Amino acid sequence: MEELIRLKNLRKVYRMGDEKIVALNDITLSIEKEEFICLLGTSGSGKSTLLNMMAGLEKPTRGEIIIGSYPIHKMNERDVTKFRQKNVGFVFQSYNLIPTLSALENVSLGLTFQRIPKSKRDKMAKKMLTDVGLGKRLHHKPSEMSGGQQQRVSIARAFVGTPKIVFADEPTGNLDTKTTMEIMNLITGMAYESNQTLIIVTHDTEISVYGHRIVYLRDGSIEKVEENQNIIKGEAN
Amino acid sequence: MSSIDLFRMGIKNLWRRKLRTFLTILGVIIGASAIIVMLSLGFGLSKFFEEQIAQWGDLTIINVYKGWAEPMPGREIPDLDDKAVESFKLLQNVVAVSPILETYGAVINGRNVANAPIRGIDPASMEAFGFDIAEGRLLNNTDSLHVVFGSSMEYNFRDPKARVWREVNVNLMKDRMSLTLDPNYGWSMPGEKRPNYKEYKIKTVGILAEGDWETSYGIYMPISELQKMIKDKEKAEGQRPQSGSNRQSGYDRVNVKVNDIKNVQDVQETIKDLGHEAYSLNDQLEYTKKQAGMIQAVLGGIGAVSLLVAAIGITNTMVMSIYERTKEIGVMKVIGASLRDIRRLFLFESALIGLLGGTFGVGTSYLLSFLVNKFSMKFGEALGAYGATKISIIPIWLVFAAMAFSAFIGIVSGYFPARRAMNLSALEAIRTE
Repeated sequence: MEELIRLKNLRKVYRMGDEKIVALNDITLSIEKEEFICLLGTSGSGKSTLLNMMAGLEKPTRGEIIIGSYPIHKMNERDVTKFRQKNVGFVFQSYNLIPTLSALENVSLGLTFQRIPKSKRDKMAKKMLTDVGLGKRLHHKPSEMSGGQQQRVSIARAFVGTPKIVFADEPTGNLDTKTTMEIMNLITGMAYESNQTLIIVTHDTEISVYGHRIVYLRDGSIEKVEENQNIIKGEAN
Repeated sequence: MSSIDLFRMGIKNLWRRKLRTFLTILGVIIGASAIIVMLSLGFGLSKFFEEQIAQWGDLTIINVYKGWAEPMPGREIPDLDDKAVESFKLLQNVVAVSPILETYGAVINGRNVANAPIRGIDPASMEAFGFDIAEGRLLNNTDSLHVVFGSSMEYNFRDPKARVWREVNVNLMKDRMSLTLDPNYGWSMPGEKRPNYKEYKIKTVGILAEGDWETSYGIYMPISELQKMIKDKEKAEGQRPQSGSNRQSGYDRVNVKVNDIKNVQDVQETIKDLGHEAYSLNDQLEYTKKQAGMIQAVLGGIGAVSLLVAAIGITNTMVMSIYERTKEIGVMKVIGASLRDIRRLFLFESALIGLLGGTFGVGTSYLLSFLVNKFSMKFGEALGAYGATKISIIPIWLVFAAMAFSAFIGIVSGYFPARRAMNLSALEAIRTE
């Protein structure tokens, strides 16, 4: 398998007043193309910080992040934004949909920044929303949808540009068990279909079974990396 | 993000907060129309002054007199003679030059007399000086005792012996006329001994069209004839012709006509540099223009204050909007909005507020201007412009300037908030609940 993401001696220190908090300590990890990785840990383990750093939302204090040929840790905000625009999709725990925009508009928003003309991006967004099972709710506002439906919109938004990597930060944290399974099936199924690399952050061991590998984080360090023998393969729809 | 998307998104964002957007725009409307109306008063005043001065005489004519400065060693005061006239003709932007001789006399038509200034002019230059004829023709080179009447001369004839006023009907073109340089003709006191002034039979060739105060009153004739008449007059009064070095050579006054009012100043300066004295109504005009400009600056300053307040209003609105949209900005950044997109979006929104305010401000100021002009008498008098018809004038360039300026104010006001939005940390922003 081909290596896609390489983390080398990654360290992140936050300053809280006079106190130093070590969020990540000497993380070294290699993630392959089309691999599904679960970052598992309790709150404060540094899993979200790690994800944000890979997405270029945070800068490491020390160490290297290399995605493909891009040295993310060295790039300025403008270049990282450009990189993110083309290569990265995001699914958040709290959906982060824009409340004033309809489902369709939320999904096509990212395409807007890629200068894709309106007719084309509406078509793409419509197809994606149909794929996540919201074909009949294109023009609903987030406030008019359930949590599961909102997360589906968010998934559609993450996948619509067919990015190489999709980051999911506690994607099911706000959802009930039944919906959780549906959503996880949807995410992994779609990533599988389009040969995408998926990185999921969770504290839930039931979620972690969706990954090829599970990375256990504790107090900012990798405790162990486990090959998952009983992977659950999701299916879109 | 493409411009059309930017446009669409910006308008949508403004529309989302209709009341706030409206109130902010209202502030700009008030600011913009305050400036426009105040400036328009200045333009109206300036125009009024110009019109008033134009009534006194032709603004493009320069009156040249013999220089009177103390003779300095190495610098002679040049004579205002034919040579000088020729040299003026060669100046750039000069269309006509004529020596002018002016004296006072009376035109006699039977029992009726009209006292008036009599002006000698180079007949060939009349047309170029812009004299308009209402009846007959202008003077030409073959004329001698021929005259052209000013437009209002008809109403100047009176019967000096009449005890009560009665209307006098004179036909300037057809009636027989004679001319005398007796300044008090017909008004003699009993027992007074008077020189024996000559009376000249004259032939009227034309009457001028209605012009300014100078041309409507008086009569025009070839300068060479008038020179002869003045010599006769001096003889009759017993004056000896001046002789020797005391004899004033050349003319008292030469008029120079310039092609355009904007070149008057230049030509006037050039003539002054030649050592002559030169005056024009332009001097007066420059002065009043300066005055009007000063009043305008004060008025504009008052208007500017309200636009400044409006600009602060825009900034406030945009800052508030960023607080509200912090999360949205974060999400947009995470899903691929570039820093430039974010900045452009906010600058566009504030520019649009400015432009809309400016546009409606122009509309409002037209309305205000209309009302001001409707009640212009009182407004005009308050500003010292008595009898002005239009005291508020909005030039078309001001309309576009005001709209562009308002949009510019919008951009300037939005600059700080836009930077702030751009520099928001995406991570902080999406964490905001």
